[in-house]
Amino acid sequence: MPLSMHSFVSSLQTFTAFIGKTCRWFSLAMVIVTCLVVVLRYAFDYSSIAMQETVMYLHASLFMFGAAYTWQQQGHVRVDVIYHKWPAALQQRIDLFGTLFLLLPTCLFLIYISWDYVMMAWANGEKSHEAGGLPFVFLLKSLILVLPILLLVQAATNVLASLFNIPLTTETSQEGASS
Amino acid sequence: MMEWMPLILFISVCLVLMLGFPVAFSLAGTSLIVAGIGYMSGSFDGAFLSALPNRIFGILSNQILIAVPLFVFMGIMLEKSRIAERLLQNMALLFGPLRGGLGISVIIVGMLMAASTGIIGATVVTMGLISLPAMLKNGYSPSLAAGNICATGTLGQIIPPSTALIILGDVLSSAYQQAQLSMGIFSPDTVSVADLFVGALIPGLLLVVFYMLYVGFTAWLKPQAAPAVVDRPELDSRFVKQLLAGLLPPLALILAVLGSILSGIATPTEAAAVGAAGATILALVYGQLNISRLKEVTDGTLKVTSMIFMIFIGAAIFSLVFRGFGGDEQVQALFEAMPGGKLGAMLVVMLVIFLLGFILDFIEITFVVVPIVAPILLAMGIDPVWLGIMIAINLQTSFLTPPFGFALFYLRGVAPKELPTSAIYKGVAPFIAIQVGMLILLSFIPELATWLPDKLYG
Repeated sequence: MPLSMHSFVSSLQTFTAFIGKTCRWFSLAMVIVTCLVVVLRYAFDYSSIAMQETVMYLHASLFMFGAAYTWQQQGHVRVDVIYHKWPAALQQRIDLFGTLFLLLPTCLFLIYISWDYVMMAWANGEKSHEAGGLPFVFLLKSLILVLPILLLVQAATNVLASLFNIPLTTETSQEGASS
Repeated sequence: MMEWMPLILFISVCLVLMLGFPVAFSLAGTSLIVAGIGYMSGSFDGAFLSALPNRIFGILSNQILIAVPLFVFMGIMLEKSRIAERLLQNMALLFGPLRGGLGISVIIVGMLMAASTGIIGATVVTMGLISLPAMLKNGYSPSLAAGNICATGTLGQIIPPSTALIILGDVLSSAYQQAQLSMGIFSPDTVSVADLFVGALIPGLLLVVFYMLYVGFTAWLKPQAAPAVVDRPELDSRFVKQLLAGLLPPLALILAVLGSILSGIATPTEAAAVGAAGATILALVYGQLNISRLKEVTDGTLKVTSMIFMIFIGAAIFSLVFRGFGGDEQVQALFEAMPGGKLGAMLVVMLVIFLLGFILDFIEITFVVVPIVAPILLAMGIDPVWLGIMIAINLQTSFLTPPFGFALFYLRGVAPKELPTSAIYKGVAPFIAIQVGMLILLSFIPELATWLPDKLYG
């Protein structure tokens, strides 16, 4: 096995992990900004659409950026009635099959069907419909492309790792993954 | 061929799901492949799928569901900072000296944990790790202990503020609008998450009371099945102080969150954020907050949130394809041809949801099945709050029923090997009976669910 493939795959893995570990802080930011909204509203009778929309952007980014990392960390639920009883080799094959024939077409289709929709939003520089809202709706819509692209990166990681027998270093933390 | 496509789609999805590849991707991938086959054979109208980007944007900008990550944050913070554990230990000290007292303290803490996390797995695992050994050590009958913990764990579905009810509330509210539009009502009534929370209050608390009555009754009838804890702590002022310090803050937090939603002071999102901040402050006060704890909590929040919303997106793809094949008209025709009208349709839906509960969890069923059946049931005149509560209790029952119930798997995972699986099955049986009894009670007295929301919000 070429060594360069080994390092290529592990850098893809690190890339996804980096995105996840950065974006997880969006959840804390949501808590803080929403609390600010509440305090400003009840104490100062001031309500800011821009702040409320910031929470919405953080919320959407949390899972659109986070889904691939969640997959890497085995955080997406499976129907586990039979799966956990199967030998590891068969589980690996199912994962490979699912990645190639379920996830891959989904991601490609999502990119295909959403491309014009997102490009239109960019071309128009789409803004919030609310007065005082954020002028970044085109960025929010771009998340629809971010999701499949990041998932494709993780899919490539998994498929290459399984083809070239590269052990993936997931520092799998037990952090609420299966709760 | 054409009229079979929705059924073929549904069966293919079920079969692929059984393989065990992540649910969200299986839902999306299988639906798209079946749609592709339909498109090529001319039985699928591709225009349905061009609505997809807009549907996903609707998910991204959905205001109600912003409460989900915030509640998840609060729940994981309470769990990771061991506040729930402390609560359980204190309750056990307080009630332990009574016969059946340990069992009852598990139910009370389980109810509070359910209110704060709303995630079955977390509750069953925590209690399985802490309470089960304590109960077994003190001579509880293993099946009673196991049944008690599993049943209490499923309360997370029904005790507000639960994540499951927020999602169900959001789906039901759009189903309700759709139902009324189809009936020609153009200024439709609405049903909100708060309606569902209030509606769940009486049935949820009744379940808790029934559980306690059962445990108490067993302890009275068979003292050896639920004995009193022998080493009674001295009830001096130090103990009382310690008890209150452990008990009051989390209790106050949960009540404040729930109260502010129910009284209409705060939206669920605002209450959830304040609750999450409160849980963080509690963790800080108990000396449990540091940077690595914060990383754990945010990481867990990101994963649970991503998991939920990917299923939402997968389910959106499934439902567009299902409709593209004319599936919803077929389901409607099926329901209208059903003998027994409203009652017959409701019975079938409840049975299907119960069976699906063996392989899918609350989130998946809410996103996939409810949008298909709810508009039709609601158009038949069924009350949305009542329908929501029935679905929630039904799923709770399903998660408890051997051999596939989720709660049983979670407990099995953390229970000692000496505890036979048959003891778990035997232990949950009476609790399943209580659940079914509650469903029957609700069918005859729907006011249990609908009276309080009517009274509060008119």
